[in-house]
Amino acid sequence: MRAIITIANATVGEAIRRRVLLIILLVALLVILIAPNLGMLSSRSETTVLRSMMLGIIQLASAVIAVMTTVYMIPNEVERRTIYTILSKPVQRWQFLVGKYLGAVMALGLMMGLMAVVMLFVFGVMRPEFAVGLKLMQAVFMYFIQMSLLASVAIFFSTFVPPLVNFFLSGGIFLVGTVMNPVFDTIQKQGTGSGLKLLFSVISFILPNFASYNVQNPLINPQTVIQSDAAYYTNAVFYGVFYISIMLIGGMLLFDRKEV
Amino acid sequence: MAAAIETKNLTKTYKSKAAGLVHVVDHLNLHVEEGEIFGFLGPNGAGKTTTIKMLLGIIGPSEGEGYVLGKEIGDMEVHKIISYVPERPYYYEYMTGMEILKFYGALFGISDTGLMERLLEKVGLHKDKSKTISQFSKGMQQRIGLAQALINDPKLLFLDEPTGGLDPIAHREIRDIILNTRDEGRTVFISSHELSEVELICDRVAIINYGKIAAQGKLTDLLKGGRVEITVNGVPEQFVRDLNIPEANIRTLPVGVVIDAPEEADINGVIDAVRTAKGNVLSVVPRRKRLEDLFVETVSVPRSKAGV
Repeated sequence: MRAIITIANATVGEAIRRRVLLIILLVALLVILIAPNLGMLSSRSETTVLRSMMLGIIQLASAVIAVMTTVYMIPNEVERRTIYTILSKPVQRWQFLVGKYLGAVMALGLMMGLMAVVMLFVFGVMRPEFAVGLKLMQAVFMYFIQMSLLASVAIFFSTFVPPLVNFFLSGGIFLVGTVMNPVFDTIQKQGTGSGLKLLFSVISFILPNFASYNVQNPLINPQTVIQSDAAYYTNAVFYGVFYISIMLIGGMLLFDRKEV
Repeated sequence: MAAAIETKNLTKTYKSKAAGLVHVVDHLNLHVEEGEIFGFLGPNGAGKTTTIKMLLGIIGPSEGEGYVLGKEIGDMEVHKIISYVPERPYYYEYMTGMEILKFYGALFGISDTGLMERLLEKVGLHKDKSKTISQFSKGMQQRIGLAQALINDPKLLFLDEPTGGLDPIAHREIRDIILNTRDEGRTVFISSHELSEVELICDRVAIINYGKIAAQGKLTDLLKGGRVEITVNGVPEQFVRDLNIPEANIRTLPVGVVIDAPEEADINGVIDAVRTAKGNVLSVVPRRKRLEDLFVETVSVPRSKAGV
């Protein structure tokens, strides 16, 4: 555990200093700050659209940060030879991989936390309502689980594909995993052939379901109600942790056999 | 003396689409004794780094076996008493020298800042301990690399090109640190292209070519076969004709007669003979065989003749 924590801490230190990530974070923070002053919003839908927009910015920036942080992590360590100084110490490969992943997730958490604080501040100034703030925090928490899941997918692929391919692969899976539920629902409703249904069932079983974490809809459309918040969030968190574990175990098995 | 490193037919094979099976390291038999500085030499692509990675347990061998400090390679227990400084390493640039030592120390559960201070002093970085790695010169980075490698008080140190790309002053500083390390009783395994450096500090060397050991032994034994050049004048032509020195080259030049003889030849006998013939000995210049000569001689063997 000592080795994992040490590697995770070093990874956080490195990630929060990466210029490209800081620029993405800075742009996201700026957009969140100036969003209320954008004239395009009509007064009637102002708050609703603003919430949706801010959560969207946090989600988009977090997704880019999650992928950017993880796709280069292992290849960079090999290219710069830092990995050899670490693996020649009493550190197992799986500890290295888990340490890097946890570091990436911690860095992601810090950046998402900062964006969430700025968003709350903006809403607090506009309309200080505890219930709305709580819902927003729940949404950001779900995004955090979603991004941790995305990071685990990216780190899994980073053990055997080059960074650029991984960037598009993980990004593609994120997009498919995000639109999967609505597409699947449409197919069910339209009564499409059983072959296509089976295909979508298999795909939705294999691919991570990122759509479950997009809970901003009940915020924007209050009539869309989740029956039980606690059950929904618990299920989503358990699903995320389970899928992350699968990705990490797969990554460990592949990384253990990788010639570095 | 006990072996710090022992390999038996250690082999690493890769599959290549173009060349089929490629033996990067081919049945390597290496013997490194405890407490010595061992030079591991070879041209680029000879298999040096692959061998080191196998000895460190970072990659597994395809065939054969290897032992480091008496334990099979890859044994995690060995990792507690060995260390490695790769060629042109990159350390986390945002960290200071002290933080680097804290990071690597933490991997062993070491948090003794007094030890870290002493290590920084040992490698001459105690005044720069608050500078970040990004502010370090190449030589300073190499020195912090050595300091991190000593954090666990290792019995065996692997150094890959420790003086590569450094200026002469940094060369000397690194050399002194390595010699001190050996004097403290550690074994040092150096992979290097800096032959003059290796010749200065190594007790024994191995030259690897095409993944095979082409020469291995004490430097003093491997560098036997030097020559001595004796220049004389005032000797009759008959004297030159009567000289009988095996493997000698004798040339008559305007300056005099130049006798190029093996160092094992009876040099004193030749000098006595010149004096008896009333000639003058102008100079006696020993030309010691250098490691560079041995290296070039060894690695110039074509692949077909290297048994590959």
